[in-house]
Amino acid sequence: MSGGPAVRVSIESSCEKQVQEVALDGTETYVPPLSMSQNLAKLAQRIDFSQGSDSEEEGAEGEPRDREWGKQEGEEEEGTVKFQPSLWPWDSVRNNLRSALTEMCVLYDVLSVVKEKKYMALDPVSQDPTAGKTPQVFQLISKKKSLATAAQLLLKGAEKLNKSVTENQENRRQRDFNSELLRLRSQWKLRKVGDKILGDLSYRSAGSLFPHHGTFEVIKNTDIDLDKKIPEDYCPLDVQIPSDLEGSAYIKVSIQKQSPDIGDLGTVNLFRRPLKNKAGTQQWHLKLEAAQNVLLCKEIFAQLSREAVQIKSQIPHIVVKNQIISQPFPGLQLSISLCHSTGEKKNQRTSPEKPSPDNHLYVLEHNLHQMMREFHKQQLSSVVMPHPASAPFGHKRLRLAGPLAYDKAEISSLQQSEGLLEKIIKQAKHIFLRSRTARTIDSLASRIEDPQIQAHWSNINDVYESSVKVLITSQGYEQICKSIQLQLNIGVEQIRVVHRDGRVITLSHQEQELQDFLLSQMSQHQVHAVQQLAKVMGWHVLSFSNHVGLGPVESIGNASAVTVASPNGEYSISVRNGPESGCKVLVQFPRSQNKELPKSDVIQDTKWSHLRGPYKEVNWSRMEGRNFVYKMELLMAALTPCP
Amino acid sequence: MGVTCVCQVPVAEGKSVQQTVDILHKKLEQLGAVKQGSFCVDCETYHATGNVSGQPSKLLYVMHNSETPLSCLALFEGGPSLIADANFDVLMVKLKSHFQNAKGHKVECRGSRYRYYDFLIKVGTVTMSSSARGISVEVEYCPCVVPGDCWNLTKEFMQSFLGSSVPDLPSVFAAKPEGLFAPSDCIDTMTQYLELFNKLRKLQIPGSNVR
Repeated sequence: MSGGPAVRVSIESSCEKQVQEVALDGTETYVPPLSMSQNLAKLAQRIDFSQGSDSEEEGAEGEPRDREWGKQEGEEEEGTVKFQPSLWPWDSVRNNLRSALTEMCVLYDVLSVVKEKKYMALDPVSQDPTAGKTPQVFQLISKKKSLATAAQLLLKGAEKLNKSVTENQENRRQRDFNSELLRLRSQWKLRKVGDKILGDLSYRSAGSLFPHHGTFEVIKNTDIDLDKKIPEDYCPLDVQIPSDLEGSAYIKVSIQKQSPDIGDLGTVNLFRRPLKNKAGTQQWHLKLEAAQNVLLCKEIFAQLSREAVQIKSQIPHIVVKNQIISQPFPGLQLSISLCHSTGEKKNQRTSPEKPSPDNHLYVLEHNLHQMMREFHKQQLSSVVMPHPASAPFGHKRLRLAGPLAYDKAEISSLQQSEGLLEKIIKQAKHIFLRSRTARTIDSLASRIEDPQIQAHWSNINDVYESSVKVLITSQGYEQICKSIQLQLNIGVEQIRVVHRDGRVITLSHQEQELQDFLLSQMSQHQVHAVQQLAKVMGWHVLSFSNHVGLGPVESIGNASAVTVASPNGEYSISVRNGPESGCKVLVQFPRSQNKELPKSDVIQDTKWSHLRGPYKEVNWSRMEGRNFVYKMELLMAALTPCP
Repeated sequence: MGVTCVCQVPVAEGKSVQQTVDILHKKLEQLGAVKQGSFCVDCETYHATGNVSGQPSKLLYVMHNSETPLSCLALFEGGPSLIADANFDVLMVKLKSHFQNAKGHKVECRGSRYRYYDFLIKVGTVTMSSSARGISVEVEYCPCVVPGDCWNLTKEFMQSFLGSSVPDLPSVFAAKPEGLFAPSDCIDTMTQYLELFNKLRKLQIPGSNVR
């Protein structure tokens, strides 16, 4: 195609008009188209009217004649109907006659054929069906057979349906397994080893150094008996955890003491509550979480026992089986134990054993978990990138030590790393000291009514330090007697008392020290109160001493004393108050009022009557009033002359 | 890091350097100071190469102080200074083409470290190429960082064991703006040490080729 020259083919429509002639020069002359009347005339010419009479003449010629008839009739009719309906009024009559003739001819032919009996014979036709004559037995058998085939068909269909239903279920279960696996995958680390799916529940990726591998296996649980009812909590996915991580575990931290020194230290039971199946959580999830908890508890305990062996302390820590025993304070025993229970039966057996309020230190147990996680995080963050290429590995703050020129003290404070056990013992000490302080203050407050003790504990504490504000007041005189305000900072080993005037006193962990201190403060408070009251009442303070050097020696602290004089100077009241000896109130009368005093020869002058007279002790317990300060107010009022 | 004063103590008449140091130790112990390990300050000199000829090449001093064990200080002669971590020494090796180490110019100061309550006293002997050149005494008053506030106290304390050879307020502090809070830092300490080293270097061998 591409090689040869393009051949132009022109197509011309065929000529509709007839060509009359072709001239010598090639032009064609067409016959002009016929008009309507010309066309009619032309068609009319083609009709042969003489033909009809001809056929009548040759009537007996038979079959071929018949064919000719039809043909000619068609032609004739065409012409007649189309072109000369009016010219042929007898047309219908003629047609009928002709068809009648045809039928008569046919009948004649048939009859002549039948008459000769050579080609055709006429027989009568029977009306009864032949099926009615089959025997009944045969009918039954055939019916049975057909029913059997129908039944077979139905059975086959049912079987097919059944199969498809079970297949569907199987598929669904498979799909469920896959979706469960997907959910498992989104929460736990999984990997495929051979034809098994293994998971990792250890904290290694979070920075743990515990050598336990902590692998679990994912099991497909799809082959369940179809006949039995599927249980409610059925799950196509199951997990197999290592046998040593089964069950539930918790770390128990408790303080045992020889004397019933402090009350219950624990607050709420965090563990051993039956694990409630929360809606929407799968069984495998609970199982894995429990196993992970067991693993963490084991890791904490392993770390603690390793430290317990390594750390040298005055009283060595004892590690026995699943218990670590330490002695933070004399007469006090801190025990940390790993409680691991496997199986439901054991749990039920052990739980009724200890419904008593055991001295769990839940806070410490919680802190242990938290510290372990912190340790993990530290491990992770010390290795993790990004990291300056030039800087040494290690703590981020330590990296700054060079450029910021940290000195030795700062660097050592960065590097100090206390072990888990040390921290927990320190926390235990603090908790113990705090609760003992609270108990001491409370017992003093309930035992001693007169100067009241109020303790305001701060809500927010450090794990190693908490503070309490102790106010010593007298009921009804809170506004004027607020000289004693103590801030007790409770640390790990000792209590620092910050006085209102800035004095700092350090007390040891011994309970008696705090108690003695508070008692001496209370006795001082009474004398301070008298001093304050004197100011309000208009009396004059003659002398005041917090620590009196005279009189009987107190076993706790020192006695304090105050002497106040009435506004006109006639009377004076002396108060001596000791923590142990209690209060002693003396009133000095003016000389003039004293009748018992013998008249002296020397001091005759009236001016000597203003000299003070002897002291008389007030029977304080019989004095009216609900507390010391009120009694004192009444006494002062009684001794103040009416204006 | 408190306020630090570094001064030179002259060698006592008829005594060796070591004997003078011993006398100082004895005085401090009598005072009630407690010995707390030892200390070391060293200084290496580098001179910049590839300078425009005609200009005297500037000196760079790289110093270490055992008080800040992870740091390395670099001081330009009369110019800027920087504090870096210990890797700076390695960097200086890489910068060999720009800064050449002047061998034999290494100065070291080693001695004992005493603590007397809030004061930290370091008595050291300055050695230059393994020969003792002098005695340095560093007194640090730890609780304060403002030199003007504690200078008199420090001075009084120094008088108690140094006698008459107590220096005036170090020039690094004198240059600090007064009234403003300008805390002293380890650069001040090292500048004082550097001044002391330079003084001792010039004092001892005036004829040698000290750059």
